[in-house]
Amino acid sequence: MVSESIASTARPKLSARARLQTDKITGKPVLLYPEGALMLNPTAHAIVSLCTGQETVEAIASNLATRYQGSAPEIASQISAFLNRLRGKNLLELI
Amino acid sequence: MLSDIPRPYSLLAELTHRCPLHCPYCSNPTRLAPPLDELTTNEWKRVLVEAAELGVLHVGFSGGEPLQRRDLEELVASARATGLYSNLITSSLGLTRRRAEELKAAGLDSVQISFQSDEESLADSIAGAKAHSKKVEAARLVREIGLPLTVNVVLHRGNIERLAEIIVLAESLGAERLELANTQYYGWAFKNRAMLLPTRFQIEIAAQLAREASKRLFGRMEILFVVPDYYSSRPKPCMNGWGRRHLTVNPIGKVLPCPTAGEIKQLRFDNVRSRPLMWIWSESEAFNRFRGTGWMPEPCRSCEFREIDFGGCRCQAALLTGDATVTDPACELSPFRHEMTGFVESTQGNAPRDFSAGLEQLIFRQNSGI
Repeated sequence: MVSESIASTARPKLSARARLQTDKITGKPVLLYPEGALMLNPTAHAIVSLCTGQETVEAIASNLATRYQGSAPEIASQISAFLNRLRGKNLLELI
Repeated sequence: MLSDIPRPYSLLAELTHRCPLHCPYCSNPTRLAPPLDELTTNEWKRVLVEAAELGVLHVGFSGGEPLQRRDLEELVASARATGLYSNLITSSLGLTRRRAEELKAAGLDSVQISFQSDEESLADSIAGAKAHSKKVEAARLVREIGLPLTVNVVLHRGNIERLAEIIVLAESLGAERLELANTQYYGWAFKNRAMLLPTRFQIEIAAQLAREASKRLFGRMEILFVVPDYYSSRPKPCMNGWGRRHLTVNPIGKVLPCPTAGEIKQLRFDNVRSRPLMWIWSESEAFNRFRGTGWMPEPCRSCEFREIDFGGCRCQAALLTGDATVTDPACELSPFRHEMTGFVESTQGNAPRDFSAGLEQLIFRQNSGI
């Protein structure tokens, strides 16, 4: 798996190729993109919702650390892994 | 729905078999659907609604050439209204600026344009039509109006050595995804497989190039390289399992577990004109025939990979052995493995030095009768 580390000051923005919506069958959030779909758990959903191009990776991490009362480094590493996955599918712009 | 029946995720809507190209590896059946019998606009709209209710998330509008249908924009709007993610799978011939803008306004999510090569004369001779320069123009147009672009190139002996240049072309067009799909040998491609199958060496070089490009373009262009199963030791998990994730509706309304399943003569496929899609998916004999693992013979039945590759491809088993119920000969454990390896060995080393010189041996897709 190819990956690159994403700078904590980068502002990730969900690509226009991807669409976030609610799955009719499960009622859960799903990310749709060419040839694929990701069913999102609450954390992934929160991350994707914050990929607006306005927030830095750092700000997303601190937002989620507060929201889920988790340890900031652990959440930062989860975010980084998930964002890399999206980058691998070319679903993320870094602004 | 029965609880043990999985939900489908994707629908391939083959709107028509009409096409301006004549590719010798066309994935349409060798007997094409007659245009006069094509589903109407309203019939397709009903299919889209029923598909979304079944759980389908993606619709690929394909063909033939889907732009041949004047109601494409209306169908795209209908897909959008039901929440389906839509992809236009096209040669791009017929994609004017006006149509591209209307498709975008209707809610089209992405466009996939096929290229035959990076180089015009070779590309046009493979397509059997003057198409390449129009495709380049259409791809630019797609990016210019802000639609996401996937470039799809079917690889074979005639273009696989152009791979580095093909990747450069896709980059220069601003493609966000590049599908390098080695030819799948069914239908037209099967007729031409002796001419089309690359050598093992060509595949290895190409796979290496694709890996390197994928690394270099990480985050900019997603690259998918599909290896031909003629060179693997285990079969592909065809359609991720029969009747498990995918359904195809052909131009005249027949519902198939994959685009080529109609070639399995022992099966009868139901039509959306006479049955609801839900019934066809969950209860029809054809969709249940190879669903799950209960149908499997040995060596699949006791194989630890049976829920990974699902016994491979039923169409390929039928094509190479005459029996759709046996293990795919792409598997090294298949008792019919020699049907594939024997053929592969017979093609090594006899690549025509100049593919164009061998062009007259190819059987190009004919559109007579449609």
